Amino acid sequence: MTEQGATAGRYVGARVQRLEDPRLLAGRGRYIDDHIVPGMLHAAFVRSPVARGALARVDVATAQAMPGVAAVFTMDDFRDIFLPTFSTIAGRDAVTPPLRPLADGDVRFTGDPIVIVVAESRYLAEDAVEAVDVDLDPLEPVLDSETGLTAGILVHPETGSNLAAQISSPADDEQAFADAAHVVTETITQHRYVAVPMEGRGLVASWEPGRDELTIWAATQAPHEMRSYCARMLGLPEHRVRVVMGDVGGGFGQKMFVTREEMAVVLASYRLGRPVRWIEDRAENLLAGGHARQEQATISMATDHDGHLLAARVHHLENVGAYSVPGTGSVGGGVAAFFPGPYRLPMLSFANQAVYTNTCGRCAYRGPWLFETVAREQMMDIVARAIGMDPLSLRRANVITDDDLPYTSATGVPYERISPAKTLEQAAELIGYDSFRREQEAARAEGRYLGVGLSLYVEPIQTRGLLGSEGAILRVDPTGEITLIMGTASHGQSVETTMAQVVADVLGCDPSSIVFIQGDTAVAPWGPGTGGSKSAVIAAGAAQLAAERMREKMLQVAGHVLEVAPSDLELSGGSAHVRGDPEARLSFGQLAEAAYLNPAALPADIEPGLLVSARSAAPPLVLANACHACTVEVDVHTGLVKILRYVVSEDCGPMINPMVVEGQIAGGVAQGIGGVLLEHMVYDADGNPLTTTFMDYLLPTACEVPDVEYGHVVTPANTPGGFKGVGEGGAIGSPPAVLNAVADALASLGARITGTPLGPAQVLAALAAARTTSR
Amino acid sequence: MKAAPFEYHAPETPDEALGLLAQFGDEAKVLAGGQSLVPVLALRMARFEHLVDLNRIPALRYVQVDNDVTRVGAMTRHAAIGGSAEIRSRVPLLAEATPHIGHFQIRNRGTIGGSLSHADPGAEYPAVALALDAEIVLASARGTRTVPAAEFFTGTFTTVAEPDEVLTEARFTGRPQGCAVLELARRHGDFALAGVACAVELNSAGRIQSLRIALFGVASTPVRATAAEQAARGAAAGELDPEEVGRAALAGVSCVSDLHADAGYRERVAAHLAGQAIRQALQEARNG
Amino acid sequence: MAEHQLEVMVNGQLVTAMVEPRLTLADFLRDRLRLTGTHLGCEHGVCGACTVLADGAAIRSCLVFAVQMQGVAVATVEGLTPDGGGLSDVQEAFRAEHGLQCGFCTPGFVVSVTAFLAEHPDPSTDQIRDGLSGNLCRCTGYQGIVRAVQATVRARQEARHD
Repeated sequence: MTEQGATAGRYVGARVQRLEDPRLLAGRGRYIDDHIVPGMLHAAFVRSPVARGALARVDVATAQAMPGVAAVFTMDDFRDIFLPTFSTIAGRDAVTPPLRPLADGDVRFTGDPIVIVVAESRYLAEDAVEAVDVDLDPLEPVLDSETGLTAGILVHPETGSNLAAQISSPADDEQAFADAAHVVTETITQHRYVAVPMEGRGLVASWEPGRDELTIWAATQAPHEMRSYCARMLGLPEHRVRVVMGDVGGGFGQKMFVTREEMAVVLASYRLGRPVRWIEDRAENLLAGGHARQEQATISMATDHDGHLLAARVHHLENVGAYSVPGTGSVGGGVAAFFPGPYRLPMLSFANQAVYTNTCGRCAYRGPWLFETVAREQMMDIVARAIGMDPLSLRRANVITDDDLPYTSATGVPYERISPAKTLEQAAELIGYDSFRREQEAARAEGRYLGVGLSLYVEPIQTRGLLGSEGAILRVDPTGEITLIMGTASHGQSVETTMAQVVADVLGCDPSSIVFIQGDTAVAPWGPGTGGSKSAVIAAGAAQLAAERMREKMLQVAGHVLEVAPSDLELSGGSAHVRGDPEARLSFGQLAEAAYLNPAALPADIEPGLLVSARSAAPPLVLANACHACTVEVDVHTGLVKILRYVVSEDCGPMINPMVVEGQIAGGVAQGIGGVLLEHMVYDADGNPLTTTFMDYLLPTACEVPDVEYGHVVTPANTPGGFKGVGEGGAIGSPPAVLNAVADALASLGARITGTPLGPAQVLAALAAARTTSR
Repeated sequence: MKAAPFEYHAPETPDEALGLLAQFGDEAKVLAGGQSLVPVLALRMARFEHLVDLNRIPALRYVQVDNDVTRVGAMTRHAAIGGSAEIRSRVPLLAEATPHIGHFQIRNRGTIGGSLSHADPGAEYPAVALALDAEIVLASARGTRTVPAAEFFTGTFTTVAEPDEVLTEARFTGRPQGCAVLELARRHGDFALAGVACAVELNSAGRIQSLRIALFGVASTPVRATAAEQAARGAAAGELDPEEVGRAALAGVSCVSDLHADAGYRERVAAHLAGQAIRQALQEARNG
Repeated sequence: MAEHQLEVMVNGQLVTAMVEPRLTLADFLRDRLRLTGTHLGCEHGVCGACTVLADGAAIRSCLVFAVQMQGVAVATVEGLTPDGGGLSDVQEAFRAEHGLQCGFCTPGFVVSVTAFLAEHPDPSTDQIRDGLSGNLCRCTGYQGIVRAVQATVRARQEARHD
């Protein structure tokens, strides 16, 4: 591993235009729905119309006889070939509900897949779905965490309990709370909202008997995960399974793990010996693609007279649905570990329960543990108002500064190489905090309600265990063309471009000359998938290392051909030349010719060819941090919230491509704004979801999202290049920034905001409650 | 999300279309812009054996002015209405409502006939028709009848049109001096949670000759605030308290509760918007 | 159900086909003509990923049936891309301003923006956001897309002055 430090060269650090763009702009991307496998059949699912019930009878005879129908399968048809297994990435011990690809004797949420129909077209498959006769005896469901813990209704009878996981981690804090000058207690809620990538899930699975090969083309963010999972599920050796990922239309975590419908499609292909394709439609994606975020916590914070935090108690409750996806069966561990955030919090008592309910299971969604920031940052403002301090002042009093580092949090997380205090000050300055307070007061006199909200956080980049390593193969072909092959699964993160920038700086070539291959498990080195904000950490590390090895090899070969020492040579402009003598050069083409086409002429200590591989390893924990600041105006007649300005001061270390960094943040911020003000996944009292189309599940448009203004702070990580991650940060910091701004706007009216949902009706309700209380 | 199978018919004259509807009865559905119907078919929330496509009938696409009456053919697209100089000058409330409808891609296909027939309680054109006391022409193989807007909308997605009838024309008479369309939606382009279409005429003495207020998005149909309208009649334009009239406009209106807003919210916001719309319409009438 | 004969111009070429009435224009373009640049994001007319031009007007191709396009000239994102490589000025601006990440919504935006600017050559920022509000993006937060439209407007104005 090379020395840590920014390797900004010609391309790293620059706003290089993306290599992905020409094909995507021309409509020549290759998404899963664009991919044809000859002979493929099309799948559709019969799904439960009720949240909970006993499956009395499933009659497939009529459906089976319909034109173009190849097969109609229930769990009975998969029982002898399905082996329940674990996720490689999440590990054997991940909280996992009882697993079955299709419902088996009972249904456990509205949308639960019961039958898979396989036909010659999706049109015909949907026709046949309607002809399947399902006899269900509906039973009373449990829909929320509190009821799930107390009602005698079991979501998964075989587990004996609706408790998916729990944590009990008390601190010895009685004295601290007793002695505290202030104790503030509040319950913060976060509602259910969902990832909604613009492309839903989809795959074509093809089991070829005789070749004994399973090939899966998939919209996935983790092809190697899918490969190992499906191999185990069918009892196949891993290397007989190939997963190929093309262009993928977003994932945000929803495509990280293998889900039940995908299992059913693979099993159907295995059963039939033919390719089976399933392209999830939007109704399915909203109904059953994986939900997120539904949590709440009762929090008590104790401070001294000056607002210094002394201790906190958090009781965290999560609604994980029925079939929660591995890795998100509970996020309690992450919430506990990072609840202290960027503050000097001496003590934390943490209790958590993750509860199964008869709703769609929870999947990973951009910063799955982000409730720690959402809850803590709202709590900081609530405490500030309660004790008569400005929220900025309270943060200043508690934020970890450079002098405090290295610092170990109350939950044992080692903090180093972070800059929360700097980002707090930069964000406050960029938003014009002090002058905004004056503007706010003047507006109040006119009957207008403006507010400012801050949100400060530390983000863990997931690099522990097998998430900490990425591989790269770099190949220069006999004509001198460069191919970079990685196990990444970029689906919007611009990895094709950023890795080319890293390699181009080392090899002295143009990034656009590099062809990037990812996501094909037959050729790509094992990778943990793209997600968890780690591409710049581990992928860049692997690309850097591979490029340096290739550079060394190239200089060796060039040195031999030009009869100079390799140390006298440089790589630039796509050639190797003697330093100070540009005429003495070899183009990459000539270099490659020498390396491949006349191996006998090479000395014994130079291996022919130009092929290297490398694997990076990251420190077990890398931390990024940022501060979000947001100003809003709240219309107290309609409850509508208008965002005036939005500022992010972020520290993701040196940036490979600032354009990419800012784009990732902007996208995450839009999801946070949408999540707070517009998006709400709603179930009725019977467990029927009410928001399964885009008419009812409201995504923000260009009219609802402001431009984000950026400030950058640079604190390198202990990695090659010093790069940190940025993928999830925008989504983590934004919900509390918006919530705090609204709460700040309405504080003078006595209205209390304690979480989401926060649509206009909730804003008016908070105002009405304030009027009632004040009488 | 694929529609169930259907037979497709593309008549080229109104009579041909009416003949098909007479033949197939309630197994047939008229296809206009498709912006509301096709999602319903794709979601399989409804299905029909026959779709009768009106898009190939040029005789249903027109804006014609006959003296005081502006006649708009049912298949005239929202985009054409929004861009029509005649509509802008003669039925400004219709022109003003148009940009609120969805997005420009929707307006390129959606039609006024489709909007009126579909009768979404949150839609703009039904409220405008109601505010202006428009006349709606329904044709069938059995003949033609004209229905006043006040009688046309009977419930959520429900009108007096029979299954074999086609809305062929909407007729607007007169030209109010002042008008305003205001709506509140969660996002730009969404159906209104509460909306107001307002038209005002003053007499030569500057007193209110007529004030017409149609609320949309609040109840199961668009609603005229007739009591509030009557109370305002004869008042001097400068002496009216628009906010008070706005509140009065909601008296007796049964606001609905649904996923997006409850009745109390709708009532409150509609009253607020009504006050603003009345103020705006009065201002325009007094200036013009 | 009876199939219908369809004659439609697609990207300047006459196409003749027999189609089932319920086949949407989007599915016809994608599955029958293999013009897969037009994407399906919702199939109920909200997300705009399926936007194409029909006689120059931007429409949601998931909300019309192929059979309805008899005699119509349809343009898809492939048709808006110059022949022989290269990108249109709208596409270039999207690239320069980082107006795409995963790319799934992008063809719909390119088509919508192309049509929007034909009608509104000099839009304000508010008008731009309004014009974009019929297309959903989940990756970019719209910032790069708004900039791309602004950059296209500027470049076209400069070209006119030259």
